[in-house]
Amino acid sequence: MSEFFHQYFDFHYMGEHFWEVLEAFLQNLLIFAVVAVLALTWGLILALLRQLPGKKFMPVRFFTIGYIDLFRAIPILIVILLISGGIPFLEFIPKDIRIPHWLGKPDPFWYGVAALMLVYGAFTAEVYRAGIEAVPGGQMEAARSLGMSHWQAMRHVVVPQAVTLIPAPMLNEMISLLKDSTLVSVIAFAESVLISRELLAQSFNSSALMLTGAFFILIILPLARVVDRLIARNQGRITRGSHIEVA
Amino acid sequence: MAAEPMVKLEAIRKSFGQLEVLKGVDIEIAKGEVVCVLGPSGSGKSTLLRCVNLLEPPEEGDIFIEGNDICKGPGSGSGEQSWRLDFVRQRVGIVFQQFNLFPHKTALENVTLAQEKVLGRSRQEAREKATELLERVGLGDKVDQYPERLSGGQQQRVAIARALAMDPQVMLFDEVTSALDPELVKEVLDTMRELAEEGMTMIVVTHELGFAGEVADRVIFMDGGVIVEEGPPAEVLENPREDRTKQFLGLVLDR
Repeated sequence: MSEFFHQYFDFHYMGEHFWEVLEAFLQNLLIFAVVAVLALTWGLILALLRQLPGKKFMPVRFFTIGYIDLFRAIPILIVILLISGGIPFLEFIPKDIRIPHWLGKPDPFWYGVAALMLVYGAFTAEVYRAGIEAVPGGQMEAARSLGMSHWQAMRHVVVPQAVTLIPAPMLNEMISLLKDSTLVSVIAFAESVLISRELLAQSFNSSALMLTGAFFILIILPLARVVDRLIARNQGRITRGSHIEVA
Repeated sequence: MAAEPMVKLEAIRKSFGQLEVLKGVDIEIAKGEVVCVLGPSGSGKSTLLRCVNLLEPPEEGDIFIEGNDICKGPGSGSGEQSWRLDFVRQRVGIVFQQFNLFPHKTALENVTLAQEKVLGRSRQEAREKATELLERVGLGDKVDQYPERLSGGQQQRVAIARALAMDPQVMLFDEVTSALDPELVKEVLDTMRELAEEGMTMIVVTHELGFAGEVADRVIFMDGGVIVEEGPPAEVLENPREDRTKQFLGLVLDR
């Protein structure tokens, strides 16, 4: 039993490598932050393109739906490998773009960011869409009847209401994104899982991986409670008319 | 020779899938006229109203607003189509059964939003106009309230002010009192009555026979997607010619 404990919970070993692992974990947070901003924007653009009305925009809708279906179906790991293993060799792309070293970050960081953005854009687009479709159709009709264009109605009437409906499901996507930031380890970006695996290979001790896991749990558990609270708040909003007090 | 009709519908047809909802409807409405459209549910009266501002574009027939054909303009390109939409929506206001106020905006903001975004009025100008209109519908003390905090009747009056803020030539009312508690109906009808007295051209789909009898210049009774009978309220409501009208009025008055 003490052997098991030593393998997974060697606190001395954890202490020795604490700062190294924490620093690598900050790289996961950085990937998360950059992708979150990009994917939330890209997802909103996709969701809006998907809602464009009329025959004229059928190709746009078609493309958007195809994109979303495709990137929800393909494993993220494959997208990461396809980008990192292909883009650098496409010589028609300027070198600064195919092998990016922006903001002092190495190219695997950016390949990972790109892959996660492409995939999470598709997932967040679906969350936005659920929000947009939950806004009653009368809102769009009222806005259009007042002379607003489709875009104006979306921007000033529909989307502001849609985003108040979706924080809980969106936060779930973000939790998932934070965890998936570890996938960038497969293309040799030094984030927490890669560092912990190196330590495991050196010492045959799993405690560094356990420490990494603990960091994720520490960040994500409170977020899960936030999701619960957001759901409860929305429930309260729905039942408010029927005089049920949600304390 | 009378002036150009404000609104003229010619042989309007509209289907939803297999169901033909409007089977050739002709109506002419003069400037300043108040027309009430009555009929059982499913008779096509709401669809007809929604055709007039192209929320439901008709499949056949023509709609003229001040003599301009808004169904078939001189061209048929997409720019042309959006020009016709702008033309209609800036002249025709609509008020809905379910109010459809913007819940994330205050009463005042509901009335200013389209003024600023569509008509390009300054914030100051839009606010003055909105305040004046909200006072006119009796809600001068509610300008900063969100719709959630207003009664149904108050919400509907905000909706009327919102439509009026665009300076429409014609106002459409789609069963605007049907979703209201009985004691709130009067305040909305009073607002509409004032509007009629000020000379607004109005097309009112309603079940309020009292209002129709008192305010309308003309009553149209629809059933099965066609106009069954039309004429001055005294004739249609007191002495209907058609059996179908008699039957409907009998059912409604029996309540």
